[in-house]
Amino acid sequence: MITERIEMIRRNYINSKPAISYERARIWTESHKRTEGKSIPIRRATAFKDACEQLDVQIFDGELIVGAIGEFRKCGILTPEFSWTWVDREMDNFDKRVQDPYVMTDEQRDYVRKNIFPYWKGKSLEESFLAQLPKETAKVAVDTGIVDNDSKWRQAVGEITPDYQDVLFKKGFGGIIKEAKEHIAELKSITAENMKKKEFYESVILTSEGIITYANRYAEKALEIAAETKDEKRKEELIKIAEICKRVPENPPTTFYEAIQFVWFTQVGGIISENPLALNIGRFDQFMYPYYRADIDNGIISKDEAQELTEALWLKLSEWVWTISANTAEFFAGYNQFQNLTIGGKTRDGKDATNDLSYMALIATEKIKTHQPGLSVRIHQDCPREFLDAVTHLVSKGTGFPAIHSDQAGYQMLINAGYEPEDARDWNNCGCVVPHFRKTGEWTSAVNINFTAALEYALNNGYSRITGEKIGLDEIDPKTFKSYEEVENAFYKQFDNLIEHSVISSLVAQRLHKELVPRPFLSSCIENCLEEGVDLVDAGAKYNLGPVLTGIGLAVTSNSLAVIKKLVFEDNVVDMCTFIDALKANWEGYDELRQMALKVPKYGNDLDYVDDIAIKMANYYYKEGHQYKDINGNNFNTAFMGISNYLPTGKVVGATPCGRRAKEPLSEGVSPFAGSDTSTPLAAMRSAAKLNQDIHSGGTLLNLRLNQDLVNTKRGQSNLGNMIQTFFALGAFHVQFNTISTETLIKAQEHPEEYKDLLVRVAGYSTQFVNLSRSMQDAIIARTAHENY
Amino acid sequence: MNNLYGSFMAPQNFSVNDGDGIRTIIFFAGCPLRCKWCANPEGLYIDNNLVYKYSAEQILKIIERQEIFYRYSGGGVTFSGGEATLQKDMLRELVNKLYDRGINLAIETSGYFKFEEVKDIFKKFDLIFIDLKHMDDIKHKIFTGVSNEKILYNIKRLNEINDNVVVRIPLIESVNADKENILKTAKYVKANIKNPKIELLPYHNFGDEKYDLLGIEKPSRDFKIPSAEKIQELIELIQADGVKLVSYK
Repeated sequence: MITERIEMIRRNYINSKPAISYERARIWTESHKRTEGKSIPIRRATAFKDACEQLDVQIFDGELIVGAIGEFRKCGILTPEFSWTWVDREMDNFDKRVQDPYVMTDEQRDYVRKNIFPYWKGKSLEESFLAQLPKETAKVAVDTGIVDNDSKWRQAVGEITPDYQDVLFKKGFGGIIKEAKEHIAELKSITAENMKKKEFYESVILTSEGIITYANRYAEKALEIAAETKDEKRKEELIKIAEICKRVPENPPTTFYEAIQFVWFTQVGGIISENPLALNIGRFDQFMYPYYRADIDNGIISKDEAQELTEALWLKLSEWVWTISANTAEFFAGYNQFQNLTIGGKTRDGKDATNDLSYMALIATEKIKTHQPGLSVRIHQDCPREFLDAVTHLVSKGTGFPAIHSDQAGYQMLINAGYEPEDARDWNNCGCVVPHFRKTGEWTSAVNINFTAALEYALNNGYSRITGEKIGLDEIDPKTFKSYEEVENAFYKQFDNLIEHSVISSLVAQRLHKELVPRPFLSSCIENCLEEGVDLVDAGAKYNLGPVLTGIGLAVTSNSLAVIKKLVFEDNVVDMCTFIDALKANWEGYDELRQMALKVPKYGNDLDYVDDIAIKMANYYYKEGHQYKDINGNNFNTAFMGISNYLPTGKVVGATPCGRRAKEPLSEGVSPFAGSDTSTPLAAMRSAAKLNQDIHSGGTLLNLRLNQDLVNTKRGQSNLGNMIQTFFALGAFHVQFNTISTETLIKAQEHPEEYKDLLVRVAGYSTQFVNLSRSMQDAIIARTAHENY
Repeated sequence: MNNLYGSFMAPQNFSVNDGDGIRTIIFFAGCPLRCKWCANPEGLYIDNNLVYKYSAEQILKIIERQEIFYRYSGGGVTFSGGEATLQKDMLRELVNKLYDRGINLAIETSGYFKFEEVKDIFKKFDLIFIDLKHMDDIKHKIFTGVSNEKILYNIKRLNEINDNVVVRIPLIESVNADKENILKTAKYVKANIKNPKIELLPYHNFGDEKYDLLGIEKPSRDFKIPSAEKIQELIELIQADGVKLVSYK
């Protein structure tokens, strides 16, 4: 059962509104004013250290794990060094905007406009990016919904998994300082490279000292509060907190409690350093287990206490709110910062990896019902029945958690990307559905590419049907296409062009990241960066992978090509002229034709006619995308991820041949178009598994809604588990289920105040349903609920 | 026999309530009974717009695409209807082929068939569901259009050749959900089946929409689901008699 303390913290958390704190930005700015002229790594490291020394120390009531990033319970911070112009433009509207609003007062706004933003004018990553991006690319790639990588120039990259096993828990930040000093002493020969390395180590020493100071300030504060506390039990707790904060993260942890506090301090450090997306916890049940086992065996902790601490961490992870633009919020709806936590799977030597903590993590998510961490499970073919049962039990609770992944497919994706087998076996998830590993530097969600826009340009002479702007390449009059092959070729021509612009905008962003925003704190959490003295931005990790391009609208685009192929060129029931007119008219006056289009086979029903088109497109996408090399000489990677990108990308595309109307959502990941998978979830799974998922090393995503009835019995849950194993045997990577009844969702729309903790799967992640915009809620309700089993 | 054609309703993949695991249900069209509450009215006749012709080959192809789901879930194929034994050549063809492939097979039958004609087929099932709608022959005739004599006989005979027979009772208020009928049924099952098992299927009206589609008059609104308390009473009655109550929910 949930303890009283955790329930109180949970209630406090759920009932507070996300608010913006400018403290980190204020300190960061003042620090930069003092360090003008010094090197960028040193300036950033110094600013980090200053923040650690100056941020308010906040210990909330009853907390067992401490450390806050600002003064609010649900807190977002500003990082003007990345971007500030959008904040300036949008913050007056922060509390009114539809998706992911934030509380911000007039006083706060005045302060940042007077004291923070002016300093960054002309200095931010965003401004440099926009100034340097070629015009032709900017037209396609800046706030268009066609090619979108704004999370890589308005925000930090994040997308990293700190290495607890081989770095943090082994050395502590005290050990990292010691090693950095030793490395500096060894850098004898005078070369430019060595001077850069020395600077890197110096920056790491500064950030390490910073995070140690931050922890020590919490130790002092805890003692201060303890001295004033009458409640003896709480007094003892606070004294213990003080002891722990004195020990970690400076030193390696010696107990489970210390280890879990260490994890949160590391997250805090990452957040202060860059407010990152996808700062993953990694394989929690693996790196925490030795501490848990030893504490249990030595009677230091009970299982219940470990459970409570785990739940306390879950709440801390949920406190931090990602501050993002309205545009980004449409792509990443739900205040989600994608701190992925992976459990289950296999050990590095190939044995089953599940342990007590794997189960405790599932229980914590079931009880806490917050959107963080992003709980992912790895399921292998010989996974214990008990674990699979625990997973499907959690699915039946309708939280949308956990994200369920094939152990084998994740392994294969990393092998294909060039990992050593042991490392590939040790994979964890990054963000939503990207197979990742703690010795990796990679932009796992670099660009979103709107596949369906490419089709629109092919069928509209390069023009957008929504804005009338010419965004694509020249094309012949669509009414004169003579064969399906001509249509398909025209599509691929536009498709190649979008990929080209995606690559250009990534390369510009990558170069600027190297120049402007090195990452000493996060680099210090990565083994090879420390050994080699090379920052993450300079490809210092053991594995450096090319940025991941995420394809959106695979189903809609395949369905659309299938319709043209069948109705125009095979059955000859309509000519291109009429068809193009129908699209132009957004189907108005063409209802009969639309009905015919809707009857053509749709992806998601195990029908080869259309699935073959999707397979071809996905394979082509991989070949085309993968051939490009990034700034470090690594090939770009492909993915079919979800996030909430299928909504904004749909808004910029007119009517499509599949029968979809203008501005309606596209399709997410490898999921069918909402409502068009009318057969069974098994058929949807078969369609998705036909794609060669393991070549897309950036991950694939299938989202299915299941009627609650299927999973509210043990037997139903077993069948679901078997269904998942079958899907994985077919070669697929990920599946996630929403099992809340439609009635519940409608009720939550009507009475949001009663459903504050209702979690739903958006795509690749879960979030509070009531935090989603109305259109996002409607889209979730519209997903086919598979009832006929 | 590959050019053998039969009349079927649309096969249903991902069925989980008619046997173990994830199953495909093959619905044979045509039925000798005329149950007044029938939930699959399209199965009563072989010529309506919800009935399709499939060859044995086509049915086997549909099943093949689902096999991998059976493998992981311990599922298989369940033959239902209508009444599958009405097309006994087709049934035999499918059962023999699937039996040789090692696929788990179940049947859901009205029990209205000539035993000797289909005995060989019934030996190959892993699980047999046989309906017993009423013990009272007159009532059975009123509600289903046929006598229960043949059905009661076939229950006995099936027991000779198969160890896994489940008697199903579609539970309908004011038709058969009274204590007397259920008690009689339980006693009959206990007396005639080695491993006596009963499954209760409370009535539902999900089929109503199909009556509209077919342009047939809907079942009387008098058919109701018995209350939960009532069902509980009946369950206790069955179990008290030493009959195992099973459920595939």
